[in-house]
Amino acid sequence: MRVLASGAGLCRWIHPDDFREWVRVHKSREPVEKLVTEHEAVSRCVADGDYVAYDFSSLTRGPQALVREIIRQHKRNLWICAEFTLHDSSLLVGAGCVDRIDVGFLGYGNYIGRAVVEGRVQVFEWTNGALAFRMLAGARGVPFMPMRNLLGTDTFLQSGAKVVEDPFGGDAICLVPAMNPDVFLVHVHQADVYGNARIFGTNLFALEGAMASKKVIVSAEEIIEPLEFRKEPAKTTIPYFLVSAVVHLPFGAYPGGVPGRYELDVEHVQQLNGIETEEHMQAYLDSCVYSVRNHAEFLGRRVGWKRLAGVARRASIKEGYG
Amino acid sequence: MDNVAGFTDTELMICAAARVLEDRKTVFVGWGIPQVVALLAEKLYAPNLVQVFEFGAIGPQSLTPFVRGTMGGPSNIYRSLQWTNMNWAFSYAATGYLDYGMIGAIQVDAYGNVNSTLLGGTYDRPGRRFPGSGGGNEVASLCWKTIVVLKHEPRRFVQRLDFMTSPGYLTGPRARERAGLPRGTGPYRVVTSQAVFGFDEETKQMLLLGVLRGLTKDQVIRGMSFEPMVAEKVEIVEPPTQEELRVLREEIDPARTIIG
Repeated sequence: MRVLASGAGLCRWIHPDDFREWVRVHKSREPVEKLVTEHEAVSRCVADGDYVAYDFSSLTRGPQALVREIIRQHKRNLWICAEFTLHDSSLLVGAGCVDRIDVGFLGYGNYIGRAVVEGRVQVFEWTNGALAFRMLAGARGVPFMPMRNLLGTDTFLQSGAKVVEDPFGGDAICLVPAMNPDVFLVHVHQADVYGNARIFGTNLFALEGAMASKKVIVSAEEIIEPLEFRKEPAKTTIPYFLVSAVVHLPFGAYPGGVPGRYELDVEHVQQLNGIETEEHMQAYLDSCVYSVRNHAEFLGRRVGWKRLAGVARRASIKEGYG
Repeated sequence: MDNVAGFTDTELMICAAARVLEDRKTVFVGWGIPQVVALLAEKLYAPNLVQVFEFGAIGPQSLTPFVRGTMGGPSNIYRSLQWTNMNWAFSYAATGYLDYGMIGAIQVDAYGNVNSTLLGGTYDRPGRRFPGSGGGNEVASLCWKTIVVLKHEPRRFVQRLDFMTSPGYLTGPRARERAGLPRGTGPYRVVTSQAVFGFDEETKQMLLLGVLRGLTKDQVIRGMSFEPMVAEKVEIVEPPTQEELRVLREEIDPARTIIG
């Protein structure tokens, strides 16, 4: 196959056989109970230098409590897949946890933009679709996927993609390398202790991410009985043998919302949107992350149960989230 | 805030773009202003418009008011035809099911190429850095007709983009096909706070189709850093109607987070 052009960006790529080997050895098919605290899940599954991806957005069912725990544990040199990120990338960079970002959507607000301008974080250019497709390739056990965009643009030139001659039709086609993250974080509506998980509503690449990643942390609003999954298997998003750890984290997407459970907290989100200076960032991290021991303490002491009852009350749309 | 004409630039852009969308068609809707455009179109002009979102909502009947920043929140994905995920959402575009795509831009050039990544400097050390493609590159590459919505300012209509995030007609006729992009796709309209542009069939360059009532062609062209082609008969773009403004201000964005 003739390579017509190559993007200049670096990318994390592993051979599909190496990933298969990891799955064979490390991702146990044994149905063991995996319910742990967020501290334990993150300290066991996330190492300095890891590549981390997550589903969905900062405002909708994002793994915000897990992201805060990563910050609390001062993980370093992480490389993240930023897709539908509004604040996660800012907070992780502000905390010094992340120094490389694959950009689908870099993030919202001035803080993260300035971090790039000042060279505090290195970015690699992709698109939301390209990153999702890379994850699909990782989940299909193939080294790359062909796609018909990125082509012709500067986005391509700064990515790690290649343009080749399609061996069937002869046209130029873009190949994106498979993504097999070290860690995948996903916050779900319901899980059981083994890691079976259900999401209601839409997702970015919840199943693909869980399949393609070496370690998978599921945080759940609710822990349900394993039998419930077998009664309604069409509702299962992720089967247990993809999952490394399960954490019960009610309001785990706060200040974002979880469809059908609670709405996003607009005021808290605006506070995050407004972070511009280093001082402001560090004050936020101190108040909402470092000075509380865990998620429950954050909710109890920094947010308040009355406020949480309010966001839960505002989740008046229930259709489809049962 | 209202300007002297009684509506904001953003309100005009939204209304003019909403009139472009056709009923009983599909549209891939980008983040922010395009979401509001699609809501207005659905309420006033295209009740059977099927809106497709990259986060996997296919054909929702979104509830208003619009929640700023939302992507996939419950009012945004209310009563969809299908809830799926990103790979399937973009697959609908890649296989030709999506008639329109709508995105915003920081800069656009004469071929409708779009920048939403950076301004100034180099890629590694830009002068200013913005969110990047998001799904914009997919929308501009894969939907049949792309609509770009942006403010009418000389710094936005440029000879040369600081970064080409998403493809318009690239360097001109047949360039998209040569690059490997799907045949017959490309930018269709550029809707601004002063004008509506199409693209010349032959040269694939931006073509002034309509100017806001009360403005002249020259005034519109002075607001750009390149000279567009001009249609033989330039239409008048009507300002927002009372009904459009009422729906926008009372139903869709009462907090004026998007419309200003």
